[in-house]
Amino acid sequence: MKKKSTILYLAISTIVLFLVSSLASAEPAGKLVFFHAGSLSVPFAAMEKAFETKYPKVDVLREAAGSQKCARKISDLKKPCDLMASADYKVIGKLLIPAYADWNIRFATNQLVLCYTDMSKYADRVNAENWYDVLQKKDVVWGHSDPNLDPCGYRSLMVLQLAEMYYKKPGLYEAVIANRPQANIRPKSVELISLLQTGNMDYAWEYLSVAVQHNLRYISLPDEINLGNYKFDDLYEKAVVKVTGKEPGTFMEIKGQSCTYGVTIIKDAPNREAAIAFLEYLLDPEGGLKILKDMGQPPFIPCRVPSAEMKAMLPASLQKLVEIKN
Amino acid sequence: MKVKEPFFWINISCGIIVMVFILLPLMEMLTAPSFSMLKATLKDRDVMRSIWLSIYTAGLAALISFVFGTPLAYVLARTQFAGKRLVESIIDLPIVIPHPVVGIAILSVAGKNHWIGQLMSDLGIRIMGSVTGIVTVLTFVGLPFYVNAVKNGFEAISPRLENVSRSLGASMFSTFFRVTFPLAWRSMLIGIIMCSARAISEFGAVVVVAYHPMIAPVMIYERFEGYGLKYSQPVAVWLVSICLILFLVLRILTLRTGKPS
Repeated sequence: MKKKSTILYLAISTIVLFLVSSLASAEPAGKLVFFHAGSLSVPFAAMEKAFETKYPKVDVLREAAGSQKCARKISDLKKPCDLMASADYKVIGKLLIPAYADWNIRFATNQLVLCYTDMSKYADRVNAENWYDVLQKKDVVWGHSDPNLDPCGYRSLMVLQLAEMYYKKPGLYEAVIANRPQANIRPKSVELISLLQTGNMDYAWEYLSVAVQHNLRYISLPDEINLGNYKFDDLYEKAVVKVTGKEPGTFMEIKGQSCTYGVTIIKDAPNREAAIAFLEYLLDPEGGLKILKDMGQPPFIPCRVPSAEMKAMLPASLQKLVEIKN
Repeated sequence: MKVKEPFFWINISCGIIVMVFILLPLMEMLTAPSFSMLKATLKDRDVMRSIWLSIYTAGLAALISFVFGTPLAYVLARTQFAGKRLVESIIDLPIVIPHPVVGIAILSVAGKNHWIGQLMSDLGIRIMGSVTGIVTVLTFVGLPFYVNAVKNGFEAISPRLENVSRSLGASMFSTFFRVTFPLAWRSMLIGIIMCSARAISEFGAVVVVAYHPMIAPVMIYERFEGYGLKYSQPVAVWLVSICLILFLVLRILTLRTGKPS
């Protein structure tokens, strides 16, 4: 009997010692749940690999979805989550701050391009000068993602509005949209790629990064209309798209702005330590930001927060990685 | 089964666990939306249109399965041939394949990169974003359920009855319609229920092929993403209730007319 209790005592003390020592070393460990926009899947997969090599005890669990859906999973479904990255940094401000997050770091940019394949109609003659004529041809099938669900969707419409102004062709927007039946809309822009590749669609609006990562042919547009250069934000603001509001039947207007990715740590993150470690890596110009650069998503170096108050709310180790810039 | 034995109580408690497992989440969902929300949703034209679209595309899928699946099920139930196991596994394939893959597979045949897609586009038939596309997908996923149910039904009917009919000079056609069909129609009805039930629940494959026009599961998804749980739940409640009533009626029909025979 005595022997047994000695063994039990030894076992318990070993476990306690082990737990204490693992706490003391404070190396991030365990699962890191990360919800992010679909357009970040490829660079984040590469970052996950590099991060897990650096911190082998951490298991990064990524869930890619539309940015709005990512936010809904946190705010409505109360799914436990550590990190959330949105393709439009405003989604974090709109749906997560202040109840589920405190701050919002802008870390990278993107731009809209018109994708097509060798099989697409007029693939041999489409270019940056005539693309809007091609999109009006009756035998051309083109599409974009749902403006109510996917930022890429309303941004595609904004590009068309900006094109009307830039090329000085009144009525261009209406004429192009008239040639896009509702059936050509998909929830997420990435889903349009399979339609392109199977020959069900000729042209689709995508982010530059998506086009690069999927080896699609694409037409680059001037900075004045591609939503990729924040220096033109004043111009982009002239494009306004009506999307559905907080309940069915209501609407709100979204003004054009450069494509800017935002990231935040969720307030009651189950694994805050690992989340901070991941952000330290993501915001590092030699780490995550370099990967983004290589994959067609030009990063902000350094990353940005809008105000000093917000910077003060960041974990201490992240504060040195951002600058205050609106 | 003796009542006192533990065996009986084990069966009963497992049964209760299963019932709670199925009913608890469903009850939670059904009772979540307020009455006024349910009423408002009922008046929403888009919602009713999507539920109706779901029901009739699933019905069409069941009808197509009935027309093409019944002869196949009969062949599988009555004959032995080399490769029968292979044919049976092919029929089961749509159950196993992940749903989005089904959608992409159908689109790749319907696209311009495929001669069938070329032919269809020349004929003016469109799969992407059309009711035709929805029915194609739903038939694809529902067919195995119909064929398997009806095959079991045919197998339960003794071939002797058919042999008697044949020996009395009836053709294969009239034997099937006058002997086999009256005995097997209930399994066909069950097959139709199974097939359309499966079809109504399909989401993953449909959303790839057709986002618009929206069937109810796609609308539930769209409402959830666009407006949140509060506005997607009432749609789900109505879809589940309407389908429950439909299937209940079908089940009762099979029982009622079944009794006299």
